[in-house]
Amino acid sequence: MLDLPQVPAALKREWLELETRRHFLGRGSKALGWAGLATILGRSAPHLLASTAALPDQRPHFAPKAKRCIYLFMAGAPSQFETWDYKPKLAAMFDKDLPESVRGGQVLTGMTASQARLPVAPSFYKFAQMGKAGHWVSELFPHTGKVADDLCVIKSLHTEAINHEPAILSMTTGNMFPGKPSLGAWLAYGLGAINEELPTFVVMTSKMPVRTNVQALSNRLWSSGFLPPEYAAVSLRAGNEPVLYLQDPKGVNRDVRRAMIDGVNDLNRQLFERVGDPEINTRIAQYEMAFRMQTSVPDLTDFSDEPASTWELYGEKAKEPGTYAYNCLMARRLAERGVRFTQVFLRTWDQHTVLPERIKVMAGESDQPTAGLLTDLKRRGMLDDTLVIWGGEFGRTVYSQGTLRPDNYGRDHHPRCFSMWMAGAGTKPGISYGETDDFSYNIVKDPVHIRDFHATVLHQFGIDHNRLSVKFQGLDAKLTGVLPSRVIPELLA
Amino acid sequence: MRRIAIFLFLAALPLRAAPATFATRVAPALEKHCAVCHGAEKQKAKLRLDSYAAIVAGADSGPVLKAGDPKESELHRRITLPPHDDDFMPSDGKPPLSALDVKVIERWIAAGAPESAEFDAPAAPVVRVAEPAAPDYLPRLDQARKLATTLGVRLVPRSRVTTDGLVLRTASAPRQCDDALLAKLAPVADLIVEAELSRTRVTDAGLRAVATWSNLQRLDLARTGVTSAGVAALAPLAKLESINLTGTKVDERGVSALKANPRLTRIWTFGTPVASSP
Ligand code: HEC
Repeated sequence: MLDLPQVPAALKREWLELETRRHFLGRGSKALGWAGLATILGRSAPHLLASTAALPDQRPHFAPKAKRCIYLFMAGAPSQFETWDYKPKLAAMFDKDLPESVRGGQVLTGMTASQARLPVAPSFYKFAQMGKAGHWVSELFPHTGKVADDLCVIKSLHTEAINHEPAILSMTTGNMFPGKPSLGAWLAYGLGAINEELPTFVVMTSKMPVRTNVQALSNRLWSSGFLPPEYAAVSLRAGNEPVLYLQDPKGVNRDVRRAMIDGVNDLNRQLFERVGDPEINTRIAQYEMAFRMQTSVPDLTDFSDEPASTWELYGEKAKEPGTYAYNCLMARRLAERGVRFTQVFLRTWDQHTVLPERIKVMAGESDQPTAGLLTDLKRRGMLDDTLVIWGGEFGRTVYSQGTLRPDNYGRDHHPRCFSMWMAGAGTKPGISYGETDDFSYNIVKDPVHIRDFHATVLHQFGIDHNRLSVKFQGLDAKLTGVLPSRVIPELLA
Repeated sequence: MRRIAIFLFLAALPLRAAPATFATRVAPALEKHCAVCHGAEKQKAKLRLDSYAAIVAGADSGPVLKAGDPKESELHRRITLPPHDDDFMPSDGKPPLSALDVKVIERWIAAGAPESAEFDAPAAPVVRVAEPAAPDYLPRLDQARKLATTLGVRLVPRSRVTTDGLVLRTASAPRQCDDALLAKLAPVADLIVEAELSRTRVTDAGLRAVATWSNLQRLDLARTGVTSAGVAALAPLAKLESINLTGTKVDERGVSALKANPRLTRIWTFGTPVASSP
């Protein structure tokens, strides 16, 4: 960072980030040094480089199947072996060395690279075929097993990233470097709101059931990147006040609040006329959104209108704000009210050690509310146009990290293959797509890159992923990037 | 929940053999997938694939066709390798030929790679032009938007295909939408293909207006005050495919009345008197 005297570093950075060409031109030549600086620092306001085009044409390219999406993000990367990729042949290979031919010289993480052996660890948990479609389902997911016929399971996802942060970023933004718009931001930008009283893109992080191997989650994962900032997610907090400072202080009524916002907006509009910075309009829009949320949010978070069957479906934990179960129910309530994209994060799936014990806790946390959500959406006629996604950021290794006993082992990160599922909104129910080898180490049939997955999700929203782009740094930037990607028709009904 | 399933049997088209020629079936596929690199502008491997004569002439290294024998033809080998093979054509991750195109080329070579004579090949799939969902909205979009804005609802195009119709949206202020409002949408009634009316104040009276929206395909009435009597009025909606009655008072009588709608395959009745009977 360059040294500017007398200004605290944090402030300097913030100011530089807000600096735009419009401000600069408005102030005349004295600003030259600043603009140069902003460019040198690179991280300066993207609008310096991005087009500031008005609202995009928010009509889908073709008639959509999905109106909304609930993305259940299992951060930390659930092992495919104990969840969706059944590998019966491993049972006979307990503690045998992973054949070098399978590994094919792959570079391992620092966590297992120095291990003397790479001994095979079969799943401690049993599998059974469930539903008419006969999905192999782990005994850890008895509830999800009951809705197996609604699931479109993909066993051949793959990614480049081998560590959590870049891998989660790849899943959420299509790119392992921060600064790109999240999937939800692209959808909000490309399609606009269904309900203008609520944010288009909402994120909820769930209370952690385990306190080991915690992954940090930050708003990089739900940022609007180089899209206008209003398309970033609003993150709902656990507890009585899901959005901070939404309640008016004592003595301030609705009219006073309205008058105050009108006054501030007026000042902001004057500034906009002078410098023309679109960021100012975003600010105005956010004041308005906050004002509207003062009335829309209390109704949203008041669960007293839920029938008794809700608690049977999601479990009693759904009454406790901030739990994954609560967030699943909240996701349904948001979807009902027209929120386009809701991303629920459930962390601590990162079982490098003591996997059997810990994954059981995690599956227990996730299973019933997830299945409950699917059942609930289905009975309310919402699964027809709500896309539900369940999955993490990469897979895990067939060999054990550290100790290996039949009932105690760990698994390291594995980007070459992992499993996820989708349901609803025109995805093909009751199918399994893609195959891995006997060690779930390499994909042997129908690979699905994250880009293909993203292209397919956008497709269900009526969007051609090649055509949803904005000019940024000389590129037609899009969610799926520049490498080849395609919609996977086999996943669609 | 309860679904009434009406099974529409769509005739699966068998792969009929039909007469084909180089000009109608082979040349267009090569033109589309290969000519960028093997055409007028670029001649990779000194091979052009944009005319019959050029294909027969072959590449720098020799012929790419052995008439009558696909397996011995370099051209056929290149398009049937696994896509990740270095020799696979088209190279560089360009969109590959469809399985059907590959089959047609195989039959053509097997038939002796004729220049103009007909050969047998799987028929091209009949492209069914989708029936337009509604009249073109473009000339009336401004009118529709203005009307919606005055009424406090939204009418948004379902897609850029201008015959895909409009979606009636009320989620921003459902309580502002009532029976009287629906009646006022008459000027654009034929454009509405989807109506999101959940949580609105719509009752049976409003459904009389909805019954005139002749192109309506999807109707969401969840948590409204409609009853069986109102729902029975929807019989004229010949294109209605799904209706959501969650949390309404509609009972068995309403659901049986809906049997009159020929295309209606999905009815949701969770939280209604119907729901108790499975
Ligand atoms: C992106 C450019 C590109 C496209 C598109 C492309 N090719 Fe090629 N093709 C090449 C290059 C480069 C070579 C030379 C390298 C090689 O032999 O692999 C080649 C070589 C060939 C050869 C071998 C010629 C020889 O030396 O015997 C054949 C046959 C061929 N292409 C057929 C096709 C067909 C059929 C298509 C369309 C389905 C196609 N190519 C599309 C770039 C392309």
